[in-house]
Amino acid sequence: MSDALIDALNPALFWEYRLVLLRGLAFNAYVFFAAAAVALLIGLAAALLRVNRARPFRWVGTLHVEVFRNAPDYIMIVWVHFVLPLLLGKLIGQRVEFSPFVSAVIALGFVYSGYFAETFRAGIQSIPQGHLDAARACGMGETTILVRIILPQVVRRMLPEAVNQFVSLFKATTIVSLIAVPDLMYQVSMVTQQEMRPLPLYTWAALTYFVVIYLVAGSLRRLSEHWRQKIYA
Amino acid sequence: MDAVPAIRVVDLRKSFGALEVLRGVSFDVPRGSVVSMIGASGSGKSTLLRCINRLETPSAGEVYIDGEPMGGRLSDISRMRRDLGMVFQQFNLWPHMTVIGNVIEAPIRVRGMRRKEALALAEECLARVHLSEKGKEYPARLSGGQMQRVAIARALAMQPKAMLFDEPTSSLDPELTDEVLTVMRELASDGTTMIVVTHEMAFAREASDRVLFLHNGQIEEEGLPDQVFGAPRSERCRQFLSKKLQ
Repeated sequence: MSDALIDALNPALFWEYRLVLLRGLAFNAYVFFAAAAVALLIGLAAALLRVNRARPFRWVGTLHVEVFRNAPDYIMIVWVHFVLPLLLGKLIGQRVEFSPFVSAVIALGFVYSGYFAETFRAGIQSIPQGHLDAARACGMGETTILVRIILPQVVRRMLPEAVNQFVSLFKATTIVSLIAVPDLMYQVSMVTQQEMRPLPLYTWAALTYFVVIYLVAGSLRRLSEHWRQKIYA
Repeated sequence: MDAVPAIRVVDLRKSFGALEVLRGVSFDVPRGSVVSMIGASGSGKSTLLRCINRLETPSAGEVYIDGEPMGGRLSDISRMRRDLGMVFQQFNLWPHMTVIGNVIEAPIRVRGMRRKEALALAEECLARVHLSEKGKEYPARLSGGQMQRVAIARALAMQPKAMLFDEPTSSLDPELTDEVLTVMRELASDGTTMIVVTHEMAFAREASDRVLFLHNGQIEEEGLPDQVFGAPRSERCRQFLSKKLQ
């Protein structure tokens, strides 16, 4: 093996900076959880618009989905961080600034809300009309039906696809260093500037991401299967 | 004689676009009585039942539950629906809830009953459909006949003034229909007010107080079971019955 290759696979440097890098990975997790919460909430709202009986609501929901599903997350992050504050500042006549963390969460949250909206919508539309008839016939109101009959089934049905989207979202958090969110990739580039040895750092960062995502996604899938089996036996 | 019927239907009409499904149907269901509705597929039986509790909005006509007109705002409709238990051809159990969960859901969420009370009530309702031991199962693990009996228990748990059955045995294998019909006979003899849309002619003849024969969205023949089955006046009813009873 060449020396360069041996150096690229050597974990020593990565291990030496493990605490800083781990703190970076924690930032990936913060961005992920906050963005996932935003994506789920906005996605659900957009899905409810898309299945609404009134056509204007459906248009708004569709517009939301099309805009954010087709926006590259890289560009969204930059745009939200640098342009959106100017736009909002103009609107309210005051200087607006987002911290990198907030910008990253908004951008990724909205991009992924487009995907989650579609997953939610498919789930909502897959609930048989008869389940709703039965609930209405018992005198349930529409909100109770949504919360007690529709959503619990939608969550179970969409779990496999949602896990895939969570994986994508977590991977997308690796580009937030673009606007200086101090995540793992950001710390890697910081260390690189001092040590001038990027290759082992990137190799082990990649392996770290892989192991984390593989383990978390795998256990989520197992959990959701276990939970679904009772119902769809 | 009780003057106010549990359910009164007056000149009910329903069209889907150009298709007129109900063309003016009127009848009374006195308290404690069982009315069976028979007729060919497409005669409007199910639509009529769904118009009674407003799962379909009638185009014209009135429905009175205990003398009170059904309709108005959604909240009024929801309130009146509590008094009408409905059992569907496809059972429509909520698959994410256990059997007990299905039965206590509406009493808790709609009637505001305490969980403990609702559980006691559910026990009672499951006993009436002979499924006391299945409370913790999920619907996916039950047979069709068991699912339909749970659906009956779920409707009973709302302690309705009347029960509406929409072809409750039509999607069951023949060997499973009896267990459901047995439960329905028991309800009938307990004095439950019932409207039953059915293709089970033997049940309609034995268990009901009155039989309505629907044809093309109108009541073509109506009377006591022995009269409708023994000596139908209408030619169409005679033809329908001779095909059914072959």
